[in-house]
Amino acid sequence: MLQTIITGLSIGSVYALMAVGYSLVFSVLNFSNFAHGSIITLGAYIAWAVMVQYLHLPFLPALLIAMAGSGVLAFLNERIAYSTLRRRRAPSLYLMISAMGVSICLQNLLYATVGAKLYALPAVFVEDSWNVGELTISRMDLFAFAFSAVTIALLNLVLRRTRVGTAIRAASHDMDMVAVLGVNLDVLVAILFLIAGALGGMAGVFMGVKYMVYPSMGWITNKAYIGAVIGGLGSLPGAIIGGLFLGLLEALVSVTEIGGQSLSTYRDVFSFGILVALLIVRPTGLFGRRVEEKL
Amino acid sequence: MDYAAAIFTNAAIYIIATMGLAIFTGYTGLFSLGHAAFMAVGAYAAAICTHFLKLPLAVGLVVGIILAVLSSLIIGYPTLRARLRSDYFAIATLGFGEAVKVLLENFQLTQGSRGLPGIQKLSTPLLTGLFMILSVWLARNFLRSNYGRKIIAIGQDHVAAEMMGINLFRVQLRSLFFSAVLAGVAGGLFAHYLGFIQPSLFTGSQSSMLVIAVVTGGMGSITGPILAALLFATIPEALRLANMWRMVTYGAVLVAIMVLRPQGILGYREITFASLARFGRRLFGLPPSPGGESRKAVS
Amino acid sequence: MKRTLSILALAMVSLALVLGCSGGAGKSATIKIGHEVALTGPNATWGQAESNALKMAIEKINAGGGVLGKKLEVVAYDNRADKLEAVNVAKRLVEQDKVVAIIGPAQSGVTNAIREVNNAAKVPVIATTATNPKVTVADDGSVVPYTFRVCFIDPFQGKVAAQFALKDLGAKTAAVLYDVGDEYSQFLGKYFIEAFEKGGGKITANEAFRSGELDFRAQLGKIRGGKPDLLFIPTMQKEAALAAKQARGLGIKSTFMGGDGWASPDLIDLAGAAIEGSYLVNIAALEDPAIQDFIKEYRDKYKVDPVLPNPLMAYDAALWVADALKRAGSTDGAKLKAALEDTKDLQVLTGKLTLDPATHNPLNKPATIQQVLAKEKRFIYVKTFVTTD
Repeated sequence: MLQTIITGLSIGSVYALMAVGYSLVFSVLNFSNFAHGSIITLGAYIAWAVMVQYLHLPFLPALLIAMAGSGVLAFLNERIAYSTLRRRRAPSLYLMISAMGVSICLQNLLYATVGAKLYALPAVFVEDSWNVGELTISRMDLFAFAFSAVTIALLNLVLRRTRVGTAIRAASHDMDMVAVLGVNLDVLVAILFLIAGALGGMAGVFMGVKYMVYPSMGWITNKAYIGAVIGGLGSLPGAIIGGLFLGLLEALVSVTEIGGQSLSTYRDVFSFGILVALLIVRPTGLFGRRVEEKL
Repeated sequence: MDYAAAIFTNAAIYIIATMGLAIFTGYTGLFSLGHAAFMAVGAYAAAICTHFLKLPLAVGLVVGIILAVLSSLIIGYPTLRARLRSDYFAIATLGFGEAVKVLLENFQLTQGSRGLPGIQKLSTPLLTGLFMILSVWLARNFLRSNYGRKIIAIGQDHVAAEMMGINLFRVQLRSLFFSAVLAGVAGGLFAHYLGFIQPSLFTGSQSSMLVIAVVTGGMGSITGPILAALLFATIPEALRLANMWRMVTYGAVLVAIMVLRPQGILGYREITFASLARFGRRLFGLPPSPGGESRKAVS
Repeated sequence: MKRTLSILALAMVSLALVLGCSGGAGKSATIKIGHEVALTGPNATWGQAESNALKMAIEKINAGGGVLGKKLEVVAYDNRADKLEAVNVAKRLVEQDKVVAIIGPAQSGVTNAIREVNNAAKVPVIATTATNPKVTVADDGSVVPYTFRVCFIDPFQGKVAAQFALKDLGAKTAAVLYDVGDEYSQFLGKYFIEAFEKGGGKITANEAFRSGELDFRAQLGKIRGGKPDLLFIPTMQKEAALAAKQARGLGIKSTFMGGDGWASPDLIDLAGAAIEGSYLVNIAALEDPAIQDFIKEYRDKYKVDPVLPNPLMAYDAALWVADALKRAGSTDGAKLKAALEDTKDLQVLTGKLTLDPATHNPLNKPATIQQVLAKEKRFIYVKTFVTTD
């Protein structure tokens, strides 16, 4: 049982990291950035390119390069697909649909060019399992957890102590006011996407090491999105808690049996069912803010 | 059936499903990212009726329609009642679509991931063509009816419509039902065209394709999405584009439309013979209507 | 009404466009054989190998004078192991290229998908590695008239795996982890369980996951509790690699075993040390003495090792079709079908091919057991199993 919980937390920490990217963008721009999944996948591929295919860099430099690369890609994504809509004050739905288009385009572009061959990123720790009594914990998991925690703490610091961070927080409450007060919105949004992209790239690399690198990795991010909704879109601590919670829930459902029939294959019905139920009953999730759709 | 007839049948089925979505999304402004689920329900229902119960296709289609409408009620009632904002509604439908797929993969009746092979190929070009014409006629009449007028009003300005006394919830739900009917029919015909169905045929990708067709064709229009659906179903075949490049293009098209021309190709307008005539005239520099003054003549 | 008519007009125009684009095939001086193959995608390693081997086979046959006085020509299209794409490919092969037979596909689900197309057109399909029994025998027990295969079937494969585990590995308990979204995986798991229990073994757990999932640790945690001697993972190489890694990560000490879906070098790349020492059932192995000439020829020509077993199956299928055409004396579909059904003791690379007309499956096909040496990055041959009961 305890092992299941650890497995759940391990899966959940991946979700949590991805969910932070979603929530960050949502908190300021008030839309669900479905292209985040593609950024995560591309982060993994960048790491693969510099670690396996073209160069043979060790893990940490590759991770940083991947994060930088994804940040840039996210920035470009914003420029091409969202900035015009944002300036035009289009409803958040349109931004979401545009994000969907980007995601479909990028994922299939990966399939068509790099191909659907499966790649694995080299393991970071040769002896990965760490046995504590009856339990087994993966060292990679702990490393990813620690690294993510440090990064998010850094992010928090930036948000609270720097001017850029304060501007972002202000923009998440009222974008127009921030513009009136003289902040260059374009720069602000660009920085926002750079950060969100970097976080996504990090998540992608960790996923690539833990599992493998292939074009439809982005599908997992649908689950991460559910985590973000559970925790409350727009709230960073909510995203983390929501992601961990979803991971735990999924692990527990996977080992449950009803009448001898394992529920593991019905797991997604649970996850998506919770999503729908939450959206109907409490769309703000656990910690989110209620934002009415503008008329 | 030969190659061209197969393309036509495929296109007709796709057009029927797109039209269903167009009635709902194009007018209420609510995006459904799970419409493939309704097609799946219609497909499986019709296939089980003809394959296992040995009933005629007509019965299968009717059962498919009923079940599709019921499933739309399951997702539609709570989400519309709760007045979800449009992007949350879209996500809820996405979740619904995935959940239906998982259920289909697990049930014994639907034979899980293996799906149902060996379905009789009853969907001839003639039959699907007839259904397509019937659907266009139904859609047009639906829009001209009382319900239709209300839907158009909601699509234009839902606050004003509500203030005029239109019950948003009921009208939206009804248009969802109508779209589920068409999707269910399309699904049933699809099953009998392909000869086999599996849950993996009804993915979120399929739902996205329908959405892309509606958005590209234009919201608030019927002929727009039909045109878009026709183009999407035929041009890639003619160019023998691999499926992946097709999807790359569709994704790019969607972004381009949202950024450059959100009203789509036709947006709120329809292709009628009168408009075709006007277009043709202008092409040749003739006055836009017989006896009228040419624009160039006005200084 | 106006709108309806204008839509019909549009439809007609489109139809004309499409008809114009699809040309017809004229009479040609070659006999065309279609190849349904996955040249891109996760199955591409096998598909490319098939394509290479088929080229070799056809060259040999043509060098020997061809068939019925004409040379053979292969028309291949990439189906990416996708069912819808495969149906399109089949239609193209049958209607436009007018092939007399189709070699491939390599996957059971895909072969099922094209069943209507090739049977309606009376074009025989010889699946290379489609192992699910329902590919050639329908639910009601009747044989699918124009679908054949050149490999063994999953009930046999499951039996081989179970008997090897029981007798050679001495396993008394086993657990299974399968993919509920893949009919190959689901049924192979089932057949293994039947045979294992029949042989006196005990199944401690039978867990499933959905296609596309990456994390099986919840299910594996449950399996760990039962401490099985053997963990049977009847999936494709990607899921097997992940499962092996995660199982070892959780401290599961069982021996791993799988089916022919494992047999790609990918497996070792993706799983690393976790898969060391595992076993798999395969249709053929590189060290098999009977096929060494073929292996050498392939290596010389393409500078890589063939990714077995697909290229062998494709080669055998080509030999089979050529032989059947000669005996049929014509390219007519019905005559070719009869000739294929009437095949006895035809010498092919993997032994002597005798077809069972009632099931369209080859009789007495052996299976090979291989072991994975992850550190040396190769598979080695352990033994050959022949049909027992």
